[in-house]
Parts: sequence; structure tokens; C-alpha cells
Amino acid sequence: MFRWIDHTAELELEIEAPTEAAVFADALAAFAELAGDGDGVPLDEEIRVLAPDRPLRLVAWLEELIYLVETEGFVPERIESLELDGDVLHARVSGRAGSPSHLVKAVTLHRLELGPDESGTWRGRVVLDV
Amino acid sequence: MSELRQLSDVLWELPATGEMRVPARVFADRELLAAIEGDSSLKQIQNVAMLPGVTVAALAMPDVHQGYGFPVGGVAATKLPDGVVSPGGVGYDINCGVRLLALPLTSAELDGRRDSLVHELSRSIPAGTGKTTGHTATLDDVLERGPAARASDEDLERTESRGCLPGADPAAVSERAKERGAGQLGTMGSGNHFVEVQRVARIFDDEAAAAYGLRDDQVTVLIHSGSRGLGHQVCSDYVKQMDAVMRRYGIELPDRQLACAPASSPEGQAYLAAMTAAANFAWANRQAIADSVRAAVARVLGRESADGTQQVYDVAHNVAKVERYDDREVLVHRKGATRAFPAGWGEIPAAYRDVGQPVFIPGSMGTSSFVLAGEPGSLELSFGSTCHGAGRRLSRTSAKKQVSGADLRRELEAQGIVVRSPSNKGLAEEAPLAYKDVERVVDVVERAGLSRRVAQLTPVGVVKG
Repeated sequence: MFRWIDHTAELELEIEAPTEAAVFADALAAFAELAGDGDGVPLDEEIRVLAPDRPLRLVAWLEELIYLVETEGFVPERIESLELDGDVLHARVSGRAGSPSHLVKAVTLHRLELGPDESGTWRGRVVLDV
Repeated sequence: MSELRQLSDVLWELPATGEMRVPARVFADRELLAAIEGDSSLKQIQNVAMLPGVTVAALAMPDVHQGYGFPVGGVAATKLPDGVVSPGGVGYDINCGVRLLALPLTSAELDGRRDSLVHELSRSIPAGTGKTTGHTATLDDVLERGPAARASDEDLERTESRGCLPGADPAAVSERAKERGAGQLGTMGSGNHFVEVQRVARIFDDEAAAAYGLRDDQVTVLIHSGSRGLGHQVCSDYVKQMDAVMRRYGIELPDRQLACAPASSPEGQAYLAAMTAAANFAWANRQAIADSVRAAVARVLGRESADGTQQVYDVAHNVAKVERYDDREVLVHRKGATRAFPAGWGEIPAAYRDVGQPVFIPGSMGTSSFVLAGEPGSLELSFGSTCHGAGRRLSRTSAKKQVSGADLRRELEAQGIVVRSPSNKGLAEEAPLAYKDVERVVDVVERAGLSRRVAQLTPVGVVKG
């Protein structure tokens, strides 16, 4: 489950999910909502990201999606598979070719969080420069 | 939070308390101050005042609004060699800035051909994810030298720092950043970027306007863009690098996005070499857009009009630069702030030396923009800086809730402003009601003695990014 909190000039994404992997799936769904629909041919991407800590892995994941839309016109739609193995995230994502008119510029470290709360629910927060 | 003290008519101070190394100061009148107090800008400028090596004060311009880490509309100078450099203090859109071109005709002379000109501009300058082809300069040359390979000497002379900061190293720019930048020279991007056709509606300072080549009712074109994906990636790369090493330098700050390292450290030097390269890329980008504008002018208005189109100046509003104040070398971070050197100061084109450096303050879409000139107060109070725009007031969602893109387009057209935009949604996000009143912002920087009004420009056509 995700929700957007709209600040003056940037967007904050808040995620609440039962597992860590589900946080990444929700982050992709949120990004796909921002990017809008791809209207071209179906595409598949293998994504692998590595980061020194959990919150930075969420940043690296979203940065990878920004990179793919900007350089390859890949608009993500859904996760086909996602594995977390130590510091590495490995995923297969399907989507479509497209050229969204409105881009996410970058993923900031401002108010960045990712981890389980006392009840075991995973909570993620990340602020995007748009 | 400590209490705001009024230092002068339009300058306020939060004294240094807690971890702050210097006071935080805000340029504002009472109404702007009330708006500034409504978001996290003051907290964020106090956090900036905690940076190691920060000197005199952390400053907020009257158009300041909440950002992430640094507020947008902030200025912070750190002492060299060991004060820090913070990539977040420049921002993701490295050397986002504005360039003004003056056409050799009046709006009355443009009249019937205005729509054709706006159409040609929108056709030839890609927006959103649009890319360009056919730019022959190699990327490494652009990163090292900026627009030098493609610009006339006259255009270079009328560009801040001649469009090239020294010390750029293409090797400090990641392959990923280069991939994102490839094909983006000559593109606007999205968000608040634009190319606007305007007319000189009012002249406040005859001498400076004459020096800048601006006459009453003259047609101008204002270009607002930056370093595109290349700059975004450079900032992303180095925020993370500095986040990883900050503790090793004994630096702890309340916000991870303030990540920084001593300017003299290997990480600081690498960032400066990459940031400088991205800044040079941004100047080459605005040069390429200006070339497209001149080509569009040639097609619609004839070769003579294109040849007579003069660049007034080009200013950066997201950059860090080494400058000297009171015989001390400092690194001035300007994030949403513009350099505003006064008359007589070095690094101003000879033609402008008697009147001061030009500064351009774009208003929100459909409202006036201002041409200012740097004033001596900027050297005394703000490390040679002034404001950069109207400053956002509403979030993008709030703007879209209050106005539809289609209605806004009709309203602007009723005011005689033709608009081209890739989407109605993007148009609504940039609606004038989402921004502060640019006239009030400009009034504050004039009263503070940072810069003075030279001319007011009103839009006749907007091509939105």
C-alpha cells in the first residue's frame, strides 16, 4: 500500500507493506502511476541493484527505474519476480515502451526510511524531486 | 526554534543556537515571511547553518520555499580550503539557469507572425523526454569547455563565467550520467522549464536597459533549462558518495540529504570536477536551445532578424562557485539563487561594467518576468547573490485541484498569451496561482540593496517543458 504526500516542490512516497519485498513492489507501482501508461511495444527488463543499506536500496531501485525510462523509454507496469539476497535486489519487470511527458528527476535521501516497525509491518519513505 | 530578529526593513535573523555555526538570515517583507514560516524553509536554512566551514550566515532569498536538505532559494558560503561542499546545496538540476535573447523588432512588428514563431519554437525544441540529434561536439568537449565549440565570442562574453567553469573533469562524471545526457543537448526537459516569447513592457532604468540592448516594446525570448539527466545523475552519484564517507570526516548533520565532505578531500574534489562539468553541459544546452531559437526566428521572421538577435546574458541559479569576499576565498553554494555582481566588479562583460551584471527573474507562467542589475548590497549581505524566481507556493497536486490545464490555457489565450505544452496536467502544475507574487519578491531584493529593477517583460507566447 502506498500513498503520495505532496510537498511544495517535491513528492514524498510513503509505503506500508507486509514484507520488505512488497515495499519494492509498491514503490514500482507508485512509480508506474507517476510515469503514466507506456503506449508502445511490451518490454521486459532485468534489474539488479546493490546498496550499502536498506533505505539506500530503495533509492537505488527507484533510480534504476528513472534511468530506464529516461535512456530506454521503458515504462514499468508490474513485477514478474523479485528476490532480495543480502545486499542485492534482483527483479524482472515488465512494461511498455513510451515517452512520458513528465519526469522524475531524482530520488533524494531527505526523510529516507525503510524498515520494520514493532508490529512487523514494513514502512518505507522516500522523497522524489519532480 | 529561536526567535526571528528584524535586522532591517527586509532582513530577518535567527541567531545561531544549538548545532548552528552561524546565524540564519532571511530576506523578506512581512507577507512573504508569513508564507516562509508556513513550511519547513526556516528549519532547513537552520540546518544549512550547521555545515562545517559555513561562514557569516546561511541565507534565504525572498522566493525561498521548502526543499529537501537545502531549501530552494538558499545561499551558503563555506571557507576554503577545508569548508565543505554539499551536492544537495547545488541541487539535482546543476546550473539550471536562464538566458535572455533580444530580437531586433517590436511586438507590434511581430504581431501577425507571433503564432508561427511559437509554433516553430515548440516544433524545434524538444520537451519532456524528447531528445535531439545532430550535435557534433563530443560530450567530453562539452563537459570540459561548455558551449565554446558552438558559440560566437559575443555570446560567450555575455554568459556568466563565459559558459565554462575551470577544473571540469569528464572522468569524474559517471558513464550513467553521460548516457542520460547523450541526446539531451538542446532540450528543455519538463517541470518548470520553458522558452517564452515576451515583450519589454516597462523600463525602470534607462541607462542599464540601453547597455543591455533593451528598448520599450522590444521582443525578447527567455530560455529556462539546465543540465538535464546528466546533472541529475551527477548529483545523485555524489550525494551517495558523500553520505558514505561523511562520518569518516567527523561530520554529523540532521538530514541525510545535506551529505557533504571537505572541499579539499578526494570526494569533495571529485564532486567539484563533476559538478563543474555538468554546469558546462548546462551552458552548452542553453546555447543549443538559443541556436534553435535563432533558427526558428530565421524561418519565421527572416535571416536578418536572426542575425540581429542578441544574447543579453545567461545566468546560473543552481551552482557552487569559488569566489573572493573580503580577501577570503569561499565556495558559494547557490540553490535557487542568482549571482548579482554590482557595477565595477570583475567578471562582468565590459559593456555592462558601468551598470552591473544582468539578472533574470522569471515570473510564473503568464505573469511578468524581470530584468535586474546587481547592486553593491549583494557583496555586503549575500555573497553577491539575489533571488531566482517567484518561488513555489502550492504543491503540484494543489495547483491541479484549483485549476484545470484546459481552463488555464483558455485564460492565458484570453490575455493574449499563446501556450504550447506537452500536457494539460503539466500546464496546471505550473499555473500562476502555484507561485508567489514575483513583483513582491523583486521589491524585497531591491529594498535590500541586492539588485535593482531594469525592465519588466510580459509574455506573449509560452512553450512549456
